[in-house]
Amino acid sequence: MNQGQQSGEAKHEDDAALTEFLASLMDYTPTIPDDLVEHYLAKSGFQCPDVRLIRLVAVATQKFVADVASDALQHCKARPAPVVKDKKQQKDKRLVLTMEDLSKALREYGVNVKHPEYFADSPSTGMDPATRDE
Amino acid sequence: MKRRRKGRVNSEAPPDQSAADFSFSLTRVAVSQICLSVGYTSTDTSSTLNSLTLITTKFLQSIAELAASFSNSANRTEANLFDIVNGLQDTALATSDCFPGGSTLHKSHCLIKSAVLRNLSDFVASAFEIPFAKPLPRLEIGDSTRVPPRSSPEMKSIPAWLPPFPDSSLYLDRCKEDKSDRLWENSDSVIACESFPERSRGRNRRSGSLPLRRARVRFKVERDWSNGVGSCNSDTRLERWRDINQDEYEVKKKIVEEYIYGADVDAGEWPR
Repeated sequence: MNQGQQSGEAKHEDDAALTEFLASLMDYTPTIPDDLVEHYLAKSGFQCPDVRLIRLVAVATQKFVADVASDALQHCKARPAPVVKDKKQQKDKRLVLTMEDLSKALREYGVNVKHPEYFADSPSTGMDPATRDE
Repeated sequence: MKRRRKGRVNSEAPPDQSAADFSFSLTRVAVSQICLSVGYTSTDTSSTLNSLTLITTKFLQSIAELAASFSNSANRTEANLFDIVNGLQDTALATSDCFPGGSTLHKSHCLIKSAVLRNLSDFVASAFEIPFAKPLPRLEIGDSTRVPPRSSPEMKSIPAWLPPFPDSSLYLDRCKEDKSDRLWENSDSVIACESFPERSRGRNRRSGSLPLRRARVRFKVERDWSNGVGSCNSDTRLERWRDINQDEYEVKKKIVEEYIYGADVDAGEWPR
């Protein structure tokens, strides 16, 4: 009897928390706009008039991207920094999202990204630095 | 720093026309905003950002597909919170790092006990809001370029919620085409068709008002008792009786009624 009461109270609390969470979604603005999410949802055959649920999906996606990006950032930071001679370059240290870090981070999420080992973004990329300077 | 980032994204995006490219480039802006909030300032190649954007859209669509399939298997067309949480649970099993505790939904019977939902609730509570960079342009429903305005707004007899009449050039052209074909030149339909534009103009239907000078009609009511007895019939006829003048008609209303009094009194009803 007591246990039943306790579980009933716990359920009530959980319900209240769920309602509160859904209400907080009304005020929260996800980075991915509602219209965009609606477009993708409609493409997948998902039909729901409730904005809160659309935002729930948007928040889940945002969390996924943020987690992947922060994992990739950890990979980037964990890599030993290259030796920098110039002080200017040391100051100008910027965090760059690379395919290598991204694929490492995504592998933990079950996504295997195969990227070419060598990718020529511009004609001068693969050239020897000595010849490029000339 | 942010401005430079945005500038780069905009310069990389080609002028896409199709809807898929448009939505993809919008998602790419959102993804780059999230990456910026994490701490990144740039990407090495555009393909890195593109692949992350593609994976994001696939993730979103997989949640949506799972939720839609859950709702469909429950004989519903509209998805609800349960379907989405179930879909998120299934996704969480695949991407275990994103939502730890993905398999704990079915132990508890309450949705908020789902670890995935609790994670999301914590995320909403803790993460900063990063609104999208620009407001999205929306197609206005009352756009005059898309929806042609009602051609005859003066016709008050037609309710406003009905779709507008087709453009008059459509059916007028067809009439002219039929005339040029001369396949049915002697038939009535062609003759009627030929006179149609003139008639419609002559009637002045646009204004919805009656012509000032029109024929006068008089009614005359007459009861005819002459028919035989046997059934309870009531017959009302309107007859065009005679033309008094050129513009005046007289209509005789002929009422033929037959009664059997006894039967109707028994039934307790007076014959109508």
